[in-house]
Amino acid sequence: MRTWTGMIRRLIALLLSSFCLAAQAGEITAYTSLEEDDVKVYLDAFNKAKPGIKVNVLRLSTGDLAARMLAEKGNPRHDVIWGWAVTQMVDPRFLEMAEPYKPVGIDKVNAAFKDPEGRWFATTGYFAGFCVNTEVLKKNNLPMPTSWQDLLNPVYKGQIVMPNAASSGTGYAQVVSILQMKGEEKGWQYLKDLDKNIAQYIKSGSRPCKAAATGEYAIGISFAFSGVKQIMEGYPIKLVIPSEGAGYETEVNALMKTAKNKEDAKQFLDWLLTLEAAKLYGERSEMSSVPGAKASEAVLKAGLPPDVSVVLYKMDFASSAKNKDRIIAEWKQKIER
Amino acid sequence: MSSTAAATRLVPKFDTDRIAVLALVVVVVVPLLVFVVAPLVGIFKMSFVTADGIGFGNYVRYVNSPKFAKVVGNSLAVATTTTAITVLLAYAFAYAMRRTAMPGKRVFGSMALLPLFAPSLVQALGIVFLFGRNGVINRTFNLGIDIYGFWGIVISDVFYSFPHAYLILSAALAVADARLYESAQVLGATGARIFRDITLPSTKYGILSATFVVFTIVITDFGNPMVIGGDYSVLATEIYNQVSGQGNFQMGAVIGVMLLVPAALAVIAEKWIMRRHHATITERSQPLMVVRERWRDRTGLAFTAVICGLIAAIVLVVVVASFVTLWPYNMHVSLRHYRFEVQNGLKPLWTSIWVSLMAAGIGVVVSVGAACVTRRLRNLAGQCLYFLSILPAAVPGMVLGLGYILVFNDPSNPLEALYGTLLILALCNVYHYHAQGYLIAMTSINQISRVFDEASTSLGGGFIKTLWEVTLPIIASSIISVGVFFFVRSMVTLSAVIFLVTPVTQVAAVSVLLLDDAGNANQAAAFSVCIMVVVALALLLFRLVLRMSGRRNVLLIH
Repeated sequence: MRTWTGMIRRLIALLLSSFCLAAQAGEITAYTSLEEDDVKVYLDAFNKAKPGIKVNVLRLSTGDLAARMLAEKGNPRHDVIWGWAVTQMVDPRFLEMAEPYKPVGIDKVNAAFKDPEGRWFATTGYFAGFCVNTEVLKKNNLPMPTSWQDLLNPVYKGQIVMPNAASSGTGYAQVVSILQMKGEEKGWQYLKDLDKNIAQYIKSGSRPCKAAATGEYAIGISFAFSGVKQIMEGYPIKLVIPSEGAGYETEVNALMKTAKNKEDAKQFLDWLLTLEAAKLYGERSEMSSVPGAKASEAVLKAGLPPDVSVVLYKMDFASSAKNKDRIIAEWKQKIER
Repeated sequence: MSSTAAATRLVPKFDTDRIAVLALVVVVVVPLLVFVVAPLVGIFKMSFVTADGIGFGNYVRYVNSPKFAKVVGNSLAVATTTTAITVLLAYAFAYAMRRTAMPGKRVFGSMALLPLFAPSLVQALGIVFLFGRNGVINRTFNLGIDIYGFWGIVISDVFYSFPHAYLILSAALAVADARLYESAQVLGATGARIFRDITLPSTKYGILSATFVVFTIVITDFGNPMVIGGDYSVLATEIYNQVSGQGNFQMGAVIGVMLLVPAALAVIAEKWIMRRHHATITERSQPLMVVRERWRDRTGLAFTAVICGLIAAIVLVVVVASFVTLWPYNMHVSLRHYRFEVQNGLKPLWTSIWVSLMAAGIGVVVSVGAACVTRRLRNLAGQCLYFLSILPAAVPGMVLGLGYILVFNDPSNPLEALYGTLLILALCNVYHYHAQGYLIAMTSINQISRVFDEASTSLGGGFIKTLWEVTLPIIASSIISVGVFFFVRSMVTLSAVIFLVTPVTQVAAVSVLLLDDAGNANQAAAFSVCIMVVVALALLLFRLVLRMSGRRNVLLIH
């Protein structure tokens, strides 16, 4: 029986060799939650540095990617995790999939941005920002919000869109930061009050900003850099960072124990800490753990603060990781429509 | 070996024939079991798997959750509203096309089918560009229409399902017995009376059939609610969120089963009605000649023009938005959205074409094969095969796709090597649309008189010989149209393959969804335009080939 299924399997593998694109030397598969356009920029640079390695990428929202990896757990399809929320990564179900690896240059990375056991390290991060469409604001005669508290103003009813905390990493970081800064009871009450003004909860973290950019809504609660991008595109957007402090999240990378091509996967992880990559982080992301990543002129002009650390809310990551499942369940029960 | 040879010599025809039929049965039935039945079994099994063993726990939990009633209610509300509107509009449209003497029928007839050649979410994309809160209409007239939610889904799905209803109703209205209408007029019946007492009753099967077809399409549609639904969740989007967002395969399977029930009931009802549909047209019937009638023709023209105008406007605004610099703030022409600055670039389009070609090839073989075998079997076995072949019509694409992951991403399955390949996408498309392809082939084969079979058999031709030299050449045009059908559906389908794509096997329709999901509506529009162009070119190419080989009037659209 065994040999029989084995034979069939070999036969099919043979038949498929013309269609099949299985992992082979010089090719790795990465699962990521980075934005599509950023992925392209990073990979173009990586391909120039290491022309021999082709990176296949699956991009999904943070929560979706978690689901995908759990679903495939018996038979993982990827070699590396790339740019994925640390609050997800530290879940034991994912930690046990990761193989400890210390990439070249890891010593330069601040201890807060890496796992002491070497199972993950962060390169970039994101924090909350409101994308406010000035044209829509003017047309509807609305005031410019500056804080989370301002968003409760009833004049914004039906004009605000926000990410869905269950699927979007940005959304979860926002919700958890509010719960941490206000305490759970007041925090949930705030979210319920805010809910009265929310037109839609959107699955992705960047899309609320884009909905505001095209003028579908006045305010898109998103992460800061998506606002920067829309401003650079030329949309009438102003980036507002909530004055209470912005909840944030770091994006980590990891090597899979089950990687089929560990050599190339390691080279890819090494590259993520190079100066070349760091320069790109300065142009494509609001925060970076890698020395040498400096925000570009254009980015600063679009409204990103030069010193990011002052606008951040000091998150308790251990708590936000530990309570993730409970908070998301509660969010779905109390807030989700 | 020698005994077989001896047997062959004794009853040669009987034996080779039997082997040939048997071989074809195996070729047709085994894949149906593997690619339709097994995934369904997988879904059912998964829906009963709970943390504390096998049981109804998932069902109990889901039915008791407050969200359940809401989502089911939403789905039913959208589906019934859309069905009512679509059938009404499509009936009026088909009536104008078939029963009035208005000009421009050819153009309107083709325009009505436009939505078939675009991914389902194109309707929703176009409607957002037109009727969105900052869309063309609201900006121009300052109306403050808020399209997201119930009405957005209904309007998008009306346009999405319109061609399907129109094709059925147009066929129903095409035939009529002129003698009935003449007698009614002689007896002094008014136009309204004639419509109520003759036209409507004679097309009631068409209406019922269209109703069920539209209902199934709408309740299982995934693309439009994703784009325009906002927070209004329906069953189809809920599966996606449960599985893709929360990794909850059990719950996804439960909702899948829930979705399967109404869809399956609708399909069964439709087949049951069609069985009762005895021919009202006999050999003594006179074809109805449509005479000119000024006001009726003008009304018909105005109505069809408005519907076609709206259909065209939705497609057109998508095309325009794809060529605009910064919708809606900077309307200068630009090709920037066609640069596709995402990691795979335009590659998914080529992947889609390749998958669709494979699906066309495989689809022709399996569905025409199934049709030939069904005709040959005739008895109970034939009926079983018929049931198996049309079973996929009752299976929503998302449910099938989910079933494929459950079955084929399992290391203990010898077919696991298929997972993550382009072949499984092609197979998934073939079996998702198997029923339709099979029915096209069946209709065509059933038009061949059995006299041919008997003549061929009495002249010594076996099953294979008859098939090869008689049946297939007669239905060659239909075979081509089956292939075109599979190609087109594979190019635009989204729901089944959404669960199966991997980074290297991403297809074009999924790219459109992902681009829109990330908020790049203009790039999503540009990608949709590319898909529509490929489909249009493919149809033109097939027309040309058919014309050159001397075959005309082949139906390429189903």
